[in-house]
Amino acid sequence: MPRRAPRRSAPVSKINLAPVRGESAPLRSLTILAQDPSVRRRRKILTTTAQVMAEPLMDGPCGARIKVVDYDASRDRLYLPMKGGYQQGDAWLDPFKQQSTPTLLGNPHFHQQNVYTIAMRTLGHFESALGRRANYGFGGHQLHIAPHAFAGANAYYQRENRCLSFGYFPGRGGQPVFTCLSHDVVAHEMTHALLDGLRPRYIDPSSPDQGGFHEGFADVVALLSVLSDAAIVGSVLTEQGLVRAKRTLVSPAQLTLDALKQSALLGLAEQVGASIPNGSASALRRSVTMKPSPRWLHDPEFEEPHRRGEILVAAVMNAFLAVWVARIQGLGPVLRGQYDGQRVVEEGVTAAQHLLTMCIRALDYAPSTDLQYVDYLSALLTADKETVPDDTKYRYRDVVRKTFGAWGIQPISRPESDGCWEPFGEQVSYRNLRFEALRANTDEAFRFLWENFTALRLARDAYTVVQAVRPIARVAPDGLIVRETVVDYLQILTVRGHELGALGLKRPEAIPTSREVRLYGGGVLVFDEFGRLKFSIGNNVANTRRQQARLDYLAREGFFEYRSDAEFSRGFFARLHLARARDRWAPGG
Amino acid sequence: MGPKSVRVRMYQVGFGDCFLLTFTYHGKAKPRHVLVDFGSTAAPSGDPGSLLPKIAQDIQRTVGTDPFAVVATHRHRDHISGFDPGSNGKGPGAIIAALKPRWVIQPWTEQPDLPVDAEAPSSLKGLAARKETLASMQAIAKQAVEEALPRLQRGFQHTEAARQLAFIGEDNIANPGAVRNLMRMGSNDYVYAGKRTKLSSFLPGVKVSVLGPPTVKQHASIRKQRSGDPDEFWSLQAKTLGVGLPKTGASAGELFAGFAQATGGQSPPWARWIIKSLRSARGDELLQLIRSLDSAMNNTSVILLFEFGGHRFLFPGDAQIENWEYALGQAKYKKLLKGVTVYKVGHHGSLNATPRTLWNGWYPKGAKPLPAKQRMTSFMSTKAGKHGSAAKGTEVPRTTLVTALEGWTRLHSTQHLAGALYVEELFGGA
Repeated sequence: MPRRAPRRSAPVSKINLAPVRGESAPLRSLTILAQDPSVRRRRKILTTTAQVMAEPLMDGPCGARIKVVDYDASRDRLYLPMKGGYQQGDAWLDPFKQQSTPTLLGNPHFHQQNVYTIAMRTLGHFESALGRRANYGFGGHQLHIAPHAFAGANAYYQRENRCLSFGYFPGRGGQPVFTCLSHDVVAHEMTHALLDGLRPRYIDPSSPDQGGFHEGFADVVALLSVLSDAAIVGSVLTEQGLVRAKRTLVSPAQLTLDALKQSALLGLAEQVGASIPNGSASALRRSVTMKPSPRWLHDPEFEEPHRRGEILVAAVMNAFLAVWVARIQGLGPVLRGQYDGQRVVEEGVTAAQHLLTMCIRALDYAPSTDLQYVDYLSALLTADKETVPDDTKYRYRDVVRKTFGAWGIQPISRPESDGCWEPFGEQVSYRNLRFEALRANTDEAFRFLWENFTALRLARDAYTVVQAVRPIARVAPDGLIVRETVVDYLQILTVRGHELGALGLKRPEAIPTSREVRLYGGGVLVFDEFGRLKFSIGNNVANTRRQQARLDYLAREGFFEYRSDAEFSRGFFARLHLARARDRWAPGG
Repeated sequence: MGPKSVRVRMYQVGFGDCFLLTFTYHGKAKPRHVLVDFGSTAAPSGDPGSLLPKIAQDIQRTVGTDPFAVVATHRHRDHISGFDPGSNGKGPGAIIAALKPRWVIQPWTEQPDLPVDAEAPSSLKGLAARKETLASMQAIAKQAVEEALPRLQRGFQHTEAARQLAFIGEDNIANPGAVRNLMRMGSNDYVYAGKRTKLSSFLPGVKVSVLGPPTVKQHASIRKQRSGDPDEFWSLQAKTLGVGLPKTGASAGELFAGFAQATGGQSPPWARWIIKSLRSARGDELLQLIRSLDSAMNNTSVILLFEFGGHRFLFPGDAQIENWEYALGQAKYKKLLKGVTVYKVGHHGSLNATPRTLWNGWYPKGAKPLPAKQRMTSFMSTKAGKHGSAAKGTEVPRTTLVTALEGWTRLHSTQHLAGALYVEELFGGA
């Protein structure tokens, strides 16, 4: 028997049993500015550390989803990034930890880190609320951020350039004010980018509500994400004299709804927006000073997008306050009728986090075109109920309905009961369908639409397309996972002005008979974990009431002076923010 | 007694306006002349430097020692550059000043040093802010041209944006020589909608109405929506662009001295795509700002209506819709406007300077064009290819408007002049 040659060990690379870099630490901490840099305490700016996904970073910083390129088009200068500095071996580093105020403000590398981190944190809020990765609206994976893009008091998202651009301008004494250092401004712009990825048709010309939604929603996310940070809330309450370092007891008189409105919200407005004209802070300020009334929705002034957005901000921020007060009352006093200040802060943070999640999650349950606030409210209530059926403790949904109702916004669905969307009750066909494919494949989802055109009441003459299929897995407060699949579809009916009459629509004078007009419809289909259709939420392209209102609004606003929808959408956010700046720059003005 | 006739002479200035109105009276009374605007930003051809002096000399020959008045509808270069006496004091503006105009009519926004206090007419309150606004706007235009143009011009794909930014931007840059000369060459009459102008007494037998620009208060009364405070907006824009600040801090050449940086041209490969995009976005943003500023400036235009002997001559400068809104919202003006017989086409033929309401007042639905002799006469001073873009439907003159003017009016256009210095028409009294 031939002797076997001794086996030689194969020249394989050494197996490293240590965790891959970052595997053991999915999150990392990075220093960011917590407040407007003009607000100082003992001459120092307030910083905080944000927890963001740990990932290998190239110089920029540049990660899988955010690429900071610090080019200044006004000066034709590229401020080169820091070389390395973010990791050493397997350790994640925070290069600006505990640096002095002048170092942070005067160092472009810190500015680059600040935008990267706040953008990543906002992305984290979206992904955690949605239960999946959030996509951008431009098809790529990485969003560019230019922290010093131009001289000017503006900041905006541009889909066509895949970019967030932040301006800078001379403040008092000629010292530069950098919009990239304002937490709320960065979160606001990042929200525009993420919302555009999720609902690309929301920048289409449609109605005052849709025009205002992008702006109002970006403000809401920016403000709630600021309020989700205990360091910021603690600092605001400290500045307002509610919580002191050595005496953390707060009297109940300071914790009423009105008292917190004045101290926490107005205090926050002062601290986050001290030097940025007409940012989220001014919307926050107005949400406190404007008296809730349904009349605002019919005031022509509130047809302007940024003013319309303020109504949404006011409704959500008042809901936040109401829940916060309810949670504080749940705490009870700890000593001589006084409340523990630290717990007060924590309850505020929890309330903000819950509402932030609700607001983002609602997008999956909102129609994909022609959104109105009444639709969004039903989406908000449905999204929360699907994940948190039992809302008896703090009654978030009741509070939200009440505060939206105070501004004249009632849910469009089931207004007499829970305000949620009606579950889909008609018979649908699952013929020729494979659920596994439906969870990932737009063609399979289109097959479902095709098989059920009648049941779903789709317009047969319209161009129909499935825009996205989104499998989601959300973690409920009880730890259980809710799995759903959301299919977004769009219908476009292109007609000429003279054909509007045949559709039951009256042609506004501003639309020439030969002008091509696009009518949009579309919605979302929500499937449960077994592939059954739970909800069909959308706007029918043949809904004459909505389409007539849209055409009348667009004619009134001069939209038909644009030659196409694409021309209108180009530079949408720069124009929107410029119009916002055109409004008064004064508290409550 | 009213004039025997009036002659309207439209000079060929390329892109700009220059109209000489000559009112001839019976008997031995001397003719009276009114020069409405004198400026150009794009000469028709040849040497633009010699064009305006040549026109000034022609005006000088025509006016001689006759009574003379000047109207400067607004301060855009294409309407006032001819009033600049030049650095040597021998430019076209000096020739016009030598004709000693009795009156210089300008919009109320040009009035210097009117105190904004209880003594000032309430309709003029806000003047200080508006004046500051004009200064801010012109400074922004200068800044935009200086900042963006060189970079836009470097990129081939931005040629159109660069061309428009240069043209509109430069039209809005302050022209201090002309402004000063207008202030000094005669007695000033700053007008606003409804104000009785000195031209009425200067032109016996001619009724002159001022239909625009509206004052801040008048304008506010017609706005259904509060669109913010435009004065504050332009001041803020100027401030945030760093206009007028010493070159320190954010307005200095370097934001982060001591940190490694490169110009866009030296940028590493990973940054090039976005740098190109950011440059383009910045150019678009400035162009948008400049366009908005250009419209705001146009809306300070004086709108004049001359009436005599059954004729109504409408000279609206470059007034755009926001300026027109006030006049068209007043029943008495609307009625007057319906009977216009001679129309100086607004803003060189741009679409939104001839409002649909104005046009529909002349030619209501179902109307048919009149025989040539009975038609309204229109004068259009323009030069195609300088303003707006045909692809976007914003070209000046707008093709659809020109077609309508040709179909419904007797159109005189400077574009039809082949080498002639002017075109004119005589209108007799009734």
